[in-house]
This record gives sequence, structure tokens and C-alpha cells, in this order.
Amino acid sequence: MNGLHGIIFSYEKEPGLRELCRHRMPASLPFGGRYRAIDFMLSNMHSAGITDVGVVLHGNYQSLLDHLGNGKTWDMARKYGGLRLLPPFADNRKYQSEEFRGKMEALAGVRSYLEEIRQDYVVLADSDLIINLPLADVLRSHIDSGADITCVCTANGDFVENATYFSLSDDGRVQETRCAPHTASGFRSLEIYLLRKELLLRLVEECEARDKYSFRRDVLGAMCGELTIRGFVWDGYAAQLRTLKEYYDRSMELLQPSIRAELFCPARPIQAKDADEAASYLAPESRCVNSLIGDGCVIEGDVSDSILFPGVKVGKHCEVHACVLFKNVTLEDSVTLKRVIADKNVHVLSGRTLIGHENYPLAVEKDSVI
Amino acid sequence: MKKECIAMLLAGGQGSRLYVLTENMAKPAVPFGGKFRIIDFPLSNCANSGIDTVGVLTQYRPLELNRYIGSGQPWDLDRNDGGVHILPPYQSNDGASWYKGTANAIYQNIGFVDMYDPDYVLILSGDHIYKMDYAAMLAHHKRTGADCTISVMEVPWEDAPRFGIMNVDENDTIVEFEEKPKQPKSNLASMGIYIFTWQKLRRYLIEDESDEHSSNDFGKNIIPAMLHRGEKMSAYRFNGYWKDVGTLDSLWDANMDMLSVSSGLDLLEKDWPIYGRSLSAPPTYLGKDARVKHSVVSRGCTVEGTAENSVLSERCTVEEGACVEYSILMPGVTVKSGAKIAYAIIGENAAVGADARVGKAPEQTAEEAWGITVVAPETCVPEGYELGANRMLNSDGEESVR
Repeated sequence: MNGLHGIIFSYEKEPGLRELCRHRMPASLPFGGRYRAIDFMLSNMHSAGITDVGVVLHGNYQSLLDHLGNGKTWDMARKYGGLRLLPPFADNRKYQSEEFRGKMEALAGVRSYLEEIRQDYVVLADSDLIINLPLADVLRSHIDSGADITCVCTANGDFVENATYFSLSDDGRVQETRCAPHTASGFRSLEIYLLRKELLLRLVEECEARDKYSFRRDVLGAMCGELTIRGFVWDGYAAQLRTLKEYYDRSMELLQPSIRAELFCPARPIQAKDADEAASYLAPESRCVNSLIGDGCVIEGDVSDSILFPGVKVGKHCEVHACVLFKNVTLEDSVTLKRVIADKNVHVLSGRTLIGHENYPLAVEKDSVI
Repeated sequence: MKKECIAMLLAGGQGSRLYVLTENMAKPAVPFGGKFRIIDFPLSNCANSGIDTVGVLTQYRPLELNRYIGSGQPWDLDRNDGGVHILPPYQSNDGASWYKGTANAIYQNIGFVDMYDPDYVLILSGDHIYKMDYAAMLAHHKRTGADCTISVMEVPWEDAPRFGIMNVDENDTIVEFEEKPKQPKSNLASMGIYIFTWQKLRRYLIEDESDEHSSNDFGKNIIPAMLHRGEKMSAYRFNGYWKDVGTLDSLWDANMDMLSVSSGLDLLEKDWPIYGRSLSAPPTYLGKDARVKHSVVSRGCTVEGTAENSVLSERCTVEEGACVEYSILMPGVTVKSGAKIAYAIIGENAAVGADARVGKAPEQTAEEAWGITVVAPETCVPEGYELGANRMLNSDGEESVR
């Protein structure tokens, strides 16, 4: 136990992910050929020695519950502490039907849990962030700098939907917080925040009393004068999966060795639930190049520049180019797919052709038969 | 708590015919088929057959095997009541004694079996590759009212002299057992899988132990003694893939069988899954010039070169210009650029240096000189080194003929 406790938020719907998030929360979005989005943050926490993690849930979290189980995958099935799932409490009527308006409201809903936290520090994180971040370094920097709140952010200038941007002073203090602007500027928040438990409890109480619900607006924005809020600039790979285009581009980046080496670095492995699949088979007439493939695939056709999750079947004379095929997708013979994201169990009958565009990849909903 | 049937898995064999592969690990821990280890087959069969209590009898170099089995969680055998138990030989009041034979291993663990007070005991080997429903075999045992049921399969007549052969009557009751007969009367070979009615077996084990001349072996002593006394022995016919992988050649054969659907060994089908414990690794990356044909690849590999008719286990690397043919790469093997591997088994975490040559195709070698080439686990084949057909490289880098 290193004095750090994890809280992961999984309550926001992402309409930008269209078909992919119609039946699941972004936290359980498949990514990288075998993972779910939340695996990354849970593994980051596990690698940093965190044993106790609470996952704040709301909405359609069935598939997330299936995935998390008792937390064994991340060594978080513990006698004391470990992984705790925090669905909306039944006696809080106002949380029943409506989504949480912000992190502070979500935290107010689990206040009794927060009070029981055994560690001195708490790290708050989103579940849709793909990153391999040494959280232990963030904690060290937080303690060394004497900050009240440390915010992990990136200098990468890409625009991300509904993101938070900071202006930092030369010595790393957050001077201004901009919420969901239409253009990127300054440092983009990766929505990872580290602070002491007492401070968090005090902020939750203050916000609840004043009916304030947003962490970024009502805490970071409104209190940047009275609190020392610092940025921790992360210059590595980080993907916030909020639109289909973002999802597709970030997936394709994994075909670059340098990005894989960073995201899957052996010192901090990303742990995912094991699918119990045998090794993948590549037939004599197949060709599979510049692609990531999971276990249990059977490939008889031609696959290039693609990502195949476990159990994908590619029939004879198929052509699969620049696609992301989720678990158990089946392509019968002579199917052509280009720039397609096919969700779990999609079945494409013989001879069909589906072609998306770089700027508008075609997403096929779970269980569809084409 | 009482169990109807528990399994005892004999995993203590030295595995000396796997030579360098078992220098540092017990035979059942040897990797198989890309993602599994040999012991995954009997353990998964137990899990799929509803047998929730398994004793694993270990003896030689058990570290790797103990670590691998752990709590039994991958096979769903981490149970409050029952589950998987490792049973090494232990110190008793009369001193410690090694397991003298297969029957003695069970004899020394009578106390363990009695704790579960089972009606039946299933005896399994840790060196067979097969998928089998033990529940169906148990049903057969109960239906026939046998004291002992031995699972058998038909083998080609010309192979029969290599097996323990069961001669049966019209009801498949065993009338005679012949170990490796020169003139076999039947082609029903014992698969080394037995179900005994426990109280019966218990008596025979105790009796056998008191016989100083006995080698305390099921095949040599217990089965013949039971037959001789007229106990009811039944043969249970198994149709499906089964292979003893106790030798380098059969281990290589079984891996090659897995590649072709027609062999009957399909690890990808979901009806009878095989479970295993595996390290977390990202998906496999096949590079821009990768050529992978009629091969299996497990996760965590990086392939930039060529692999044909081969098994690539987890976390293997095949660099650009390297070529692997008709070979088995066990987990964590690295093949450097320009290296050529043919008809070989490369042990766990071994590295084959750039431009090295390991193994040869049969057509490039005189018939009598040909054989599978083997590199020991954790061993480095130096750059440009040539390791010919039928050769072995041990972990000290010493070469020998198999």
C-alpha cells in the first residue's frame, strides 16, 4: 500500500462514439486488439502499487460489470480494499434516472465510500483514457511540489471533444481552466487529478452544499486562486476516445512500433481479462501484414493494416484493409472490408463489400448480420 | 466433504526422453500448441467433466509446475471444497520416501483420497494430449458395475506392439492384458487413464505395497493382479485424438497435428475449451513483410520474417529475413535476422543468433542421420552457428547427438 487510492469515473455517455457506445459505456469500449478502455487506467493503478480502487458507475454498465468481475485481473480481488463498484445508491432518488452532471456530484453520491478510504492521497481518473502512465511518478511530483491538486495534461495540440484546457505558468501552476472550448489551446487535461483525501472530502462537501457539480469548472476554474493547482505534463501517448474518428485514428496509430513499445511497455504491463482462446491460425493461402491480431483468430484471406480482436474469422478470398474487427467477427468467403470498424459478433455474409472513408470510418453495430 | 469421484494426476515423471527440454522442469509443464502446457489438457478435461477435486502428484523439478498450477484458478479449480492440490512426496514418521512407482504415488496419498471419501478415483497421466469427457467414462464404469475401467483406443495393427494391449470379450470386458506384445491379439491400446472403485483400489494398493518384488506400477502390477483375481475390468472405447507426448518426436508430431484440421485435434473449437495460465501480453504484430502460412501464432509475438508450418508460442520474435519452417518455438524465443530454423524445437526463452542454422529438412539429410533438432530453454545459439539435424544444444551451449 503506497498511500494512493484510485477513483475511476464511468458515467458519461459518449454520443460521438455512435454505434460503438449504443450498448456500452465508453469504459468497456474494446481497444487495441484485446483490451477494454478501462483496462488501461486499472493497469496504470496496479503498476503504481494501488490496491484499492472505486469505480463510480451510472447508465448502461452491464457490460462493464461483466468485464470487471471481482477485479482479479488487476490483482484487486482483496480481503480488504481491492476493487469496489459504486453504482448510484438507491436511496438517492435524484440520481436514479438522471445522469450525473459532473464529477463532484458523482462523488457526493458516494461520500460514505470516500470517508472510508484508507489512503492519504486519491487519484481521480476517467475510464475512456488510453495511456500507460507511471502514476507513482505523478504522486512523487505532487508531494515534492507541495501542490494542493496536480492535474495530468498534455502539450499535444489535437482538438478533443468536450475537453478541458489549461494555461500553465512557467513554474507549472494552472492559471486558467477552459471547459469544452471549440478549439484547442494550451495544455489539454487528461482528466487525471491527484489530491489529498481530506481536501477531496472538503471540496465534495462545499460543492454539494452550494449545488455545484463540476470539478473542472467549480473547483479547478473557480478556486485556482486559493488552491495551488499544478500541471504534470505527460509527453507520451494518450488517447481520449470521444468520437468515432478519434477512436479509429488512435487505433491505427498502434500499428507504429514506437507507440506500441510505449503503451505496452513490459515494465508496466496492461492487464486484461483472459479470453481463453487458443493460438491464432493462419492458413497456407492467407496473407496478413502490418496488423495486430488477437488469439483464436482463423485467417484464410488477405489482411493488411488492421487490428483483429480474439476469435475473428476471415474467410477465403477476403480482403480486409485498415479495419478494426472486434471479438468474434465472422467474415464469410470473398468479403471486402476497407476502413470499417465492426463491433462484436458482426457477421458478414459471403461476397459483401463495405467501404468507409478515412474521415468517416464505417461502424457496424454489435451482432449485425450483413 | 464427500465427493463421488476425484482425479489423481501423475505428474512426477522425469521426462528423460524429452532430454534438454525437461532439464529444469517436469514434463507436464512443457509448453504445447502455442498457448498451453501439457498439463492443461487433463486439468481442462477435469474442469469440463465436472470433476472439481484433483490431486497432482509431483516429484521431479516441480518448481515450474507448482508455479504454473498456483491456485488452480485458470481451470476453475480454486474451490473452497476440493480444487487442485499439489502432492509431493513428504516426510513421515518412518522417514521420507520417493514415489517408487505410479501405484506407490497413490498409495502414499491414501490419506488425501480418504479425506474426500470418494466412490471412484480417476487416475490420469500428465503427458497426454487429448480432449475427453471423464463423466461419460464414469457413467460407463457405473453402468457396467466394473471395479476398474480402462480407457482404450484402436491403434493401427502395426503400432499395437508398442502399447499395452487389452484383449476383450464381446461386452468389452477385459480378459487379458499384454504389455507390448509381439503378436497382438487385439488393437485396443490402453491410454493410461483408469477409473477405479476406490475401496477396491485401496485394498490392492496396500497389498501391492507389502510385496517387496513389486515395482508398484499400475500397468505392471495393479492391473495384472486385479485381472488375475477375476475383478471386473471393463474397457471404455475412446474415439478421438489422443497422443502420448513423452518423446521429442511425438511432441513435435502432436504440435504438427494441431495445425491440420483433419487430425481431429482442434484447439479452436469452443465446445470443449482447453484453459491455460498465460502472462499478459499485447496482441501479436505481423510486420509489413511478414509471411506466416499454415502456422499458429500466440499473443505477444512480433513477426517480421517468415514462418511456415510452425507453432509460435507467446512472446516470440522472428526478425526480418529470418525463416522458421516445420518448427516449434516455445514461449519467449527470439530468432534474429537471417537465421534459418527447420524441423526443430526451440526451448523457452532461447535465442537463435543472426544467420544461424538450426535443423535440416529430411530431404537434405541422409535418412539415417535425420531427426528433430532441439535447443534447450534459456540457451543462446551463437551468431552464424550451425546446429545440424538430429542434434541437441543444452543450456551450457554443449552440442550432442540426440
